[in-house]
Amino acid sequence: MLLPELFALLSSDLFLLLSLLTCLLEERFPKAIPYVYQVAALMGFGHLLVSKMFLTVFDEDLRFWYNFFYLAVGLANVVAVNLYLAVSKKTWVLAKVWSASVTFPTVFISIFFVYNYGYLQGATFPLLTVDLILILSVAILGIAVAVLLSPKLLRRR
Amino acid sequence: MINLKIINNIKLKKSSKFLILLLASMLIAAANAFVFYSLSMVSTITTATTGVWFVKGLDNVTAGVSLSPDNTSAVLTGLLAYPNASFTYTDPLRVRNNGSILHQIRLSPVTLSGNDTEFVYVKFLLRNGTSETSETLVSLEYNCSGSDWTVPSATGWVQIPASTEYAITVVTKARDSAASASVTIEIAVDVQ
Repeated sequence: MLLPELFALLSSDLFLLLSLLTCLLEERFPKAIPYVYQVAALMGFGHLLVSKMFLTVFDEDLRFWYNFFYLAVGLANVVAVNLYLAVSKKTWVLAKVWSASVTFPTVFISIFFVYNYGYLQGATFPLLTVDLILILSVAILGIAVAVLLSPKLLRRR
Repeated sequence: MINLKIINNIKLKKSSKFLILLLASMLIAAANAFVFYSLSMVSTITTATTGVWFVKGLDNVTAGVSLSPDNTSAVLTGLLAYPNASFTYTDPLRVRNNGSILHQIRLSPVTLSGNDTEFVYVKFLLRNGTSETSETLVSLEYNCSGSDWTVPSATGWVQIPASTEYAITVVTKARDSAASASVTIEIAVDVQ
């Protein structure tokens, strides 16, 4: 059985990942950003502590929502950094690499866990959501196959 | 903003910064994992209904049987012991396994109080069924020497299949020319 605190754990690790990556790419980000992400990861630790302290007081719905919100914030930061690299810094290659190596894996792993949690809790998801995810997966697979067959597509014009 | 300026003014090599952040990250990740692990170890205990309980037998009126609302305890107030005569209540009370799995049960003594000179014995027999011919599986026998009771030890475990009732038979006997007296015996039916 999955605990809703798994989302906080996942999101906290996402913030740590962002902290290390922004440190490695420090010339492209404000210098305080890695430390801000460390503090954000510490907030995840606080989430887990609160859940542990008030396990018998908070019901599972409440625990799910505040942990899920924290995960959503973490994912939003991953996407925001991706957009920052692409739009503000105009480092397209880096943005694409970030997108493939950080954004998509983290988003899909998070969706997997959220769906798995929902399934175990007996929640039913709208069919449209499942369809959209399937379409997105097929689209990504198509792009990956196209790039594999023709690597020139990745070259900057 | 002051803190951010301080961070900006600190001149550290990139490798040193990364090392510091990496160590801090490992610490936070380990602490998170520890708390999450301890969280997943917390047990949740929910209430459950008992699968084994008492039901009244055919002789329940004679024996004065009354059951608690959830049928997990029974009081027999109409039991009599006759002087120099063994008297048997064949089917005053039954133990029913209402669950879907086999259980093991036994009779064990809890308390005894009251007169200790006017009785010969009080026996509780757990029988393999509810008919008069059902064999006795185990018995809990309280014997009185005329000056003191001998309290028995708990019986061995016996199996009671699902959806089955076993009768508890009570046998009493008082001393010859016994005076008016009473004894209260509490026994337990242990279930596992």
